[in-house]
Amino acid sequence: MSKGEPIITVRDLKVQRGGAVVLEGVDLDIHAGDFVGLSGPNGSGKSTLLMTIIGELEPMEGSVQVFGDKPGAKASRGRIAWVSQAAAQLPSNLRISVRELVALGTMTWKDFFKIRRSDRSERVERAIKLVGLEEVADHDVQRLSGGQRQRAVVARGLATEAEVLILDEPLAGVDRASRDDFLKLLDRLCRNEGKTLVMVTHDQTAIHQCTHCAICIDGNVQFDEDHVSAPPVLHLETLALDGDFPSSQKTKAPKELA
Amino acid sequence: MGLGTALHWVLNHPRFSILEAVGGLMPGEVFPAFFEMEMLQRALLAALLVTVVAGLYGTFLMLRNLSLIGDGLAHVSFGGVAVGVTVGAVAPLSYALIFSIVASIIIFELQSREIVSGDTSIAIFLTGMLAFGLVVLRLFGQGITTDIEGYLFGSLVLIDDRSLDTITTISLFALVGLALFHRGLLAITIDSVAARVQGLPVHLIGLWFSVTIAAIVVSMVQVIGALLVTALLVTPAATAQLISRSFRGSLLWTQAFGLTSTLVGLYLSAELNTGSGSMIAVVAAAIFAFVGLGRLIFSRFQSIESSPKPVLMDPEA
Repeated sequence: MSKGEPIITVRDLKVQRGGAVVLEGVDLDIHAGDFVGLSGPNGSGKSTLLMTIIGELEPMEGSVQVFGDKPGAKASRGRIAWVSQAAAQLPSNLRISVRELVALGTMTWKDFFKIRRSDRSERVERAIKLVGLEEVADHDVQRLSGGQRQRAVVARGLATEAEVLILDEPLAGVDRASRDDFLKLLDRLCRNEGKTLVMVTHDQTAIHQCTHCAICIDGNVQFDEDHVSAPPVLHLETLALDGDFPSSQKTKAPKELA
Repeated sequence: MGLGTALHWVLNHPRFSILEAVGGLMPGEVFPAFFEMEMLQRALLAALLVTVVAGLYGTFLMLRNLSLIGDGLAHVSFGGVAVGVTVGAVAPLSYALIFSIVASIIIFELQSREIVSGDTSIAIFLTGMLAFGLVVLRLFGQGITTDIEGYLFGSLVLIDDRSLDTITTISLFALVGLALFHRGLLAITIDSVAARVQGLPVHLIGLWFSVTIAAIVVSMVQVIGALLVTALLVTPAATAQLISRSFRGSLLWTQAFGLTSTLVGLYLSAELNTGSGSMIAVVAAAIFAFVGLGRLIFSRFQSIESSPKPVLMDPEA
């Protein structure tokens, strides 16, 4: 994999949330085509890191650069997509078909006022096909299985045609069989479609699939450059046992942030 | 001539006499008068307009977990009406409009800045402004008159040319706004983080939605009453989500249930000589109960009939 300039750079990041320091001294480089898995115990700051990358949270110290600019700036608009956790995010009284949900991804600030765009439905169909939901495209999202529902949310992200997909615990509420299919899908997106993926997950199998993994422990992020050979599970345990981070106990986040 | 009176004039024009023609087909002793008498024609037009608009926005309100904001803003607008009536304004509704819009902006900002949670800020405004209205009426006005009761429970006699104009203008603005923003509104409703990352102006759309809801609520006060606006804002949308399978479907079903509630409610209130607002609200709730019960029985029946198949097969599994 040829590595040019990283598309996401995090330098000496410190983030506070609810008055407590959640992340401190975090450095991270993400290159185009990477599949980065973020793991770590609850409250270790994984989701906070994602939120900072997409510009939902402001860094207290340090910097985050996405496509060479601040998160949420014009440079990154339309090039980065957020894939939320379907199990937690879709309101239960919402009635929406897969196709309608995916179509929401085709909107941008620029064409916000245009009622019709010629390539809109084309993009929607392509995204649905990529995640393999053609057969249920007109079904209510709530009546799909957990795995299918999460694919629908991924398809919404794909319809934005962003290069980077940020996934927040996509495997929550997904059963084992669908999980493997879902991971295959992510692998395809990374290899064949050239997408860059950044995923928070608790799932160790998922972490093994990633090209890179980063472990959050109490506010510190350990970035594992070259990856799959050393099982991340071990990595996580050794870090915790060796006590590489003496400050870690003090900066423990007060609540579950995932 | 305003928008509402123009619409009324067209529908009533002797060349087409649309309203009268429809009225001839209507059942009942008193109900056809809604299509024939000028005052009741205005009331009918206003009722149908607000039903359509309330249904469209109600679906979004329900999804945004803001079902009660309509109720809250209606109470706020009652405070405005009270002030308007007390100072002897020709159109107390314009006072209501100002009160309601200002409150909606404050509530929205309180919520989006997470100063107080959604329900709490609505509760404070709801009780505070209702009480303010009552105090103003007692201190400086003539207390609770029939007119004031009309604003609380809805009164079709209050709908004169001026208020029909206000109601029509608000409805038109609301419909045009929704035509422009509905995709964006749906996107920020379902997942505001994804919408913001996509580059949509989440805060601006939210603010526009709040202000429009505030105006819609004011347009509904005379038709159904400040205490009952939720019956048309939320109940039809809630009934629709029981049976629809897509977003488009839920919008269409909401219209079907809302318009049925309004027409049947007006019919029953005319024939039985009850308040129109309360009858519409009762019919809307009855339809919800009926559909909910029907769905319960139907799904029981289905699950006995065939083996459980609620989860569709994963195509790749």
